[in-house]
Amino acid sequence: MKVNWKKNLFKGLCLTSVAFVFQACYGTPQDFGQDVLIEGRVVSKNSNLPAKGIKITIEDGPQYVYTDNEGNFGFYTMQRDNLKLTFEDIDSTENRQFIKKDTLLRITDEKVMVNIMLDEKE
Amino acid sequence: MGNAIKNYIFRQFKKTETRKHELNYLFWECTTSCNLNCIHCGSDCSKDSRQKDMPFTDFLKAIVTIENPAKNFTVVFTGGEPLLRKDIESCGKELRKRGFRWSMVTNGFLYNEERHISLMNAGLGALTMSLDGLKDSHNWLRNNPKSFEKVDRAIGLAASSSRLNFDVVTCVNQRNINELENIRQYLIGKGVKSWRLFTIIPIGRAADNPELLLTDSQFKKLLNFIELSREKDELDVKFSCEGYVGCYEWRVRDSGFFCRAGINIGSVLIDGSISACPNIDRSFAQGNIYNDNFYEVWQTKFQPFRNRTWTKTGKCANCKEYKNCMGNGFHNWHGDMKNVLVCHNDLIKESP
Repeated sequence: MKVNWKKNLFKGLCLTSVAFVFQACYGTPQDFGQDVLIEGRVVSKNSNLPAKGIKITIEDGPQYVYTDNEGNFGFYTMQRDNLKLTFEDIDSTENRQFIKKDTLLRITDEKVMVNIMLDEKE
Repeated sequence: MGNAIKNYIFRQFKKTETRKHELNYLFWECTTSCNLNCIHCGSDCSKDSRQKDMPFTDFLKAIVTIENPAKNFTVVFTGGEPLLRKDIESCGKELRKRGFRWSMVTNGFLYNEERHISLMNAGLGALTMSLDGLKDSHNWLRNNPKSFEKVDRAIGLAASSSRLNFDVVTCVNQRNINELENIRQYLIGKGVKSWRLFTIIPIGRAADNPELLLTDSQFKKLLNFIELSREKDELDVKFSCEGYVGCYEWRVRDSGFFCRAGINIGSVLIDGSISACPNIDRSFAQGNIYNDNFYEVWQTKFQPFRNRTWTKTGKCANCKEYKNCMGNGFHNWHGDMKNVLVCHNDLIKESP
């Protein structure tokens, strides 16, 4: 990684601070904003009532969230073309029982809305 | 000749940036509580839990005054230790809802897998963690026998995320100056991509502890280490923007020295003060969010930051490199402001 002053000078000459990457002494690097917001709601297919406490997991990473009392969820994750989410009822019979479901999302924007209906176990 | 032209052009670039003074980077000192008791505390941060954490709504009211925020505008959560606040994730989510990006500086002690995931879910975009040596030297500076174990876990988690723009910072001192290569190897092993090295300025507890400060020759050794490391591809190593380093400029960083405090960097401090980097003498506060319109202060004040001719005093008065250095990093001006606290270029020149 030899210091290439010509390259750096070019950056200095041609770019405004909007594109000139810097960080404060005791600050963080800048965020290049490579993420996407996934938001949605999970309801029962049988009753249309919100499904709370459903665990939503991303296939290729450690991230997960739970639906709230209204069945809503939302999280940011790495930008990519496709995202596989798994919806899983992990609280046993406490809030009815739902059948696990996988969904593949195609990411075309910085924000994706997804509404999911889960089948209840008999 | 080449250097003279390069420096001239870079000076013109800095002038343009200073005239424009676009706010790109805003520190929020969201707490001054800390879970560690580092032996250099007071040099660049302070532990003052007498101050209550600033309510997020107060901070938000201040920053929504920003008209047409810069495209890359980022709020940097700092402290104290931000992770002591239970509402960091909800603060971050609220910022993202309003189109602001956010990042955080942490000592890593509380950064476990659960917190890593909740921060990622909340849209954390960049992260900096402090590692001040291998086990013994880190635990010594952080003054806690478990701090290395905790930060080791935290670094592994953060480095595993391709989403986060993550780097590690190290305060170089007498205890770790001879283990820099070992730290570099450790960071490569952990999958870290970027490492920034600092020195400790002689204020707070650091002023009375010679083990925290480098000698002239050790400082030069540090710069030589950085320069050599930058020739290797595994890890992006750089010297922080803390000061002007004369003949080492453009060799130890991606660009020349440019202290952007008050030019592109602002802060909202724990008591509502509006300033630049949090380690700058608090007497430079330009206003207070509880009395003033934040953005109006940013636009109309900050003269000492944007016109630094007042720093041409003391040892800077007759310095031949002043036009490239402009009084060194702003945080090197404390007390009566009659002399710069540290001249990095002097350290280099005085080194054998």
